[in-house]
Amino acid sequence: MSAKRFDQARPFLTLALVFAAWLVVPTAVKRVLRAGFFEMQAPVEASASYIRDLQEFWSLKSRSKNELIEAGRDLIHLNAAYEVRLQQDADLRAQLDRLGRLLNLPAPEGYRAEAARVVRRDFSGWWQQLVIRKGSNYGVTVGAPVIYAGGVVGCVREVHAYTSVVELISSPGVRIAACLEGDTRPISYQGGINPSIAAARGEVEYVPVDVFVTPSAPRRVVTSGLGGVFPGGFTIGSLINVEPSSDGLFKSGGVQLDAALSALSEVTVLVPQETPPAAN
Amino acid sequence: MANQGSERPGGLVETHKGYNPRILFFYFFIAAILLALGGGLAYRQLFGNDRYHEAEKKQNQRRILVPGPRGTIFDRTGRVLVGNRPRFAVTLYLDQLRQDFRSEYIKIRKAYRAADDKNLPTIDQMQRIARFTVVRRFLDQVNQVLGRHEELDSDELNKHFRQELLLPYILLDDLKAEEYARLIEHLPVNSPLQVYTSSIRSYPLGSIAAHTLGYVTGNDDIEPADDFPGADLTTFKMKGTVGREGIESKFDADLQGETGGAIYRVDPSGYRVNPPLSKRQPVHGHDLHTSLDAELQIVAEKAIGETELNGAAVALDIRTGEVLVLASKPDYNLEDFIPRLGHDKAKQINDQGAWLNRAVSGIYPPGSTFKIVTSSAGLAAGVDRDTFSVDCTGSVMVGARRFTCENGHGIHGVIALTEAIAVSCDSFFYQFGLATGAEKISAMADRFHLDRPTGIDLPYETKSMLIPDAAWKKSRRDEAWFPGDTANMSIGQGFIGVTPLQMACFAASFARGETVTKPYLLHDPDRPAQHTAPIGLTPAQHAAIVQGMVGCVDHGTARILTTLPTMRIPGLTIAGKTGTAQVHGKDGNLNIAWFICFAPVENPQIAIAVVLEGNVGEETGGGRIAAPVAQAILKKWQETQSRPPAPLITIPGK
Repeated sequence: MSAKRFDQARPFLTLALVFAAWLVVPTAVKRVLRAGFFEMQAPVEASASYIRDLQEFWSLKSRSKNELIEAGRDLIHLNAAYEVRLQQDADLRAQLDRLGRLLNLPAPEGYRAEAARVVRRDFSGWWQQLVIRKGSNYGVTVGAPVIYAGGVVGCVREVHAYTSVVELISSPGVRIAACLEGDTRPISYQGGINPSIAAARGEVEYVPVDVFVTPSAPRRVVTSGLGGVFPGGFTIGSLINVEPSSDGLFKSGGVQLDAALSALSEVTVLVPQETPPAAN
Repeated sequence: MANQGSERPGGLVETHKGYNPRILFFYFFIAAILLALGGGLAYRQLFGNDRYHEAEKKQNQRRILVPGPRGTIFDRTGRVLVGNRPRFAVTLYLDQLRQDFRSEYIKIRKAYRAADDKNLPTIDQMQRIARFTVVRRFLDQVNQVLGRHEELDSDELNKHFRQELLLPYILLDDLKAEEYARLIEHLPVNSPLQVYTSSIRSYPLGSIAAHTLGYVTGNDDIEPADDFPGADLTTFKMKGTVGREGIESKFDADLQGETGGAIYRVDPSGYRVNPPLSKRQPVHGHDLHTSLDAELQIVAEKAIGETELNGAAVALDIRTGEVLVLASKPDYNLEDFIPRLGHDKAKQINDQGAWLNRAVSGIYPPGSTFKIVTSSAGLAAGVDRDTFSVDCTGSVMVGARRFTCENGHGIHGVIALTEAIAVSCDSFFYQFGLATGAEKISAMADRFHLDRPTGIDLPYETKSMLIPDAAWKKSRRDEAWFPGDTANMSIGQGFIGVTPLQMACFAASFARGETVTKPYLLHDPDRPAQHTAPIGLTPAQHAAIVQGMVGCVDHGTARILTTLPTMRIPGLTIAGKTGTAQVHGKDGNLNIAWFICFAPVENPQIAIAVVLEGNVGEETGGGRIAAPVAQAILKKWQETQSRPPAPLITIPGK
């Protein structure tokens, strides 16, 4: 009778033993195991994402020739517009370089743009992150800013051999030195606690008291470029409400983030470039 | 065997049934002890519960108080004179580093033991080293982000750890906006390193009205509201501020923000157990709208500054008594008091005599401006202005002493009251004063409240003003009152001492034909017009004196205001009176140059008193030196009066 009872309880005992063993395992071993698990899991997820890409490819293949011709024309127009922009950008860069040389300013930090496909999206009330299909194999570094066509996505939190984990700006763990468009005074942006089903929001602090916004007249929050991590001018979201803090020094408010953040399929990692040593 | 068996149990029973009185006593003793213990426990649990709960609370809970930002000070038009600006600091919460300190301590202890060092430090020393090492590591992190090379003060760190563990330890203070932006982006959200903001005073218009506005200093003993919980708990207080001078001091209770704070549970070592049990946000203090006009104040200070002399200027709204200008030079830079005044700056202020607010605490003989009081007293006493005249020959013998006429560089000839005021003829006023009598002049000065403080809303208004009379001279100097004293008093010399603010109030009162003007420093758009006792002059008598004051500006001692084209103010008729007196200062004799006035004469609205301290021998007459300061104020005042009201600012969403 007792032997039977013991047999019935054996799985629970085993589980308890495993838990107990996990508790006493050194942190370094745990870290290695976790990383190993991730690296083992990564090829599966990467393969799944390649298959999704293939599905997408075949679905695009099914489009009619007319659609392709129209898309091709649009692309030509877009390329032409970008060409003009590139030319203007080159002129501005040349002017900036000239002014920088005249004022003996240090060369601004450069970034290498690394486009990466999104492998997995992981949203919860505690963290909001993406797994992208590029890791240390492409020189991605921890802390590197990640952007997309609509602005800031977040920053790289973990880098693995073939994948990286990007923490989204909707996550409370991300804080950015931002500013309002057309205003150079820095404010602090931080992601909020966002339920996975609700539209993502963030919060701003240290907003100057002379700033007034309403949901019908929002103001764009952009990266200030002062923090040293994110380059300036990238959209974070829209400041839709502000209220004065009780101490009267600043205001704090809510930022509405782009809904596209939760459906991104491709992002760009800005990998900081090493500044070349000054020539003697 | 059977017997043995029956005996044995019987014997045993007998033994246990034996009644031992000592054991019985022991039972009672044990029962009594248990009863006492049980009773004591019950008493403590049932009746002493509150007391022990309180003791536990005191031992396990700590209160942190955070001062509220001070209120903003505006001028009468809504311009910010004193505001608040954020001060960013990077702080470290030491109470969140308990584990780090412990790990570092163990590492250090192991290292010493491994090295077999004979001079092993004490536990306390090793804990100090561990704390220093951990905090230094965080400071290095900040230095790396900001590109700085700051060092850590070990003694300060240990003092903070011992005494203010729950308060944030400031690693770097007064960060620039770019620096705090870098820290926001580089420091992890959950790092013990955080950017902390506090508020400090800011002066958008610079140090105008420095004496009037006053300054604030640090206050280690901020007090919460009466209903703030945890009064009996061990309390840690963040540094607040307290007003030390001027409006900041006088209205400190209003400006002071409401203290906020939180109550935390702590473990036996004093480390915080998050989150707070209760929390209250600090609240911004009340704003103050002063009666000062920033534009006029700036002009007045600039005009005094251009003379390069010490002095003061006061301008009042004649109708309400609201103070438009209250300037005193030399003054101090209010920014120098943030965060605290350095020794060198304090010495510099001291050497310059800049602590003194000359407008309300500077005592000066009023000189010839007092002749308006003498004139009023004489006419009220029945001296006939039409028939009373004097032949000014340049001097007058009063008793055995010759009193000279200092104004006019010569002789005025036969002169009557109105013209005597205009050209400030001393000879006339010696005789006029003697005809009036010292008691009546003193009484009139008292009626104008020149013998007492004005009661302005500022601290440290002097009470040393003096309108002498025979009784005062007898009691203070044990001397009789001589006719020479009356002659001296008639021209505002001798023992008389008044403040510039008093003379501005006097000018305002005289302009209204009344005796008292109470000055106010707070602006109230609905403040009623002041009405006090009339001077006691007929309209014709009052007009005669006013005419003399207009003549002073038109062709008399202040004619610079009309003869110099750059000094003229078209469309504004000014009634003024100059004055020059000499005083014996600690650095030798000083020439005191006065000018009091009001305008427009037809409908008096602004009254001004200006005093400047010049060196003897220099051209420091009231008309030449002090009148231009008043002219600058009047010109700007006229400009502001003719300006259309500012358009309303529309605020989106409001």
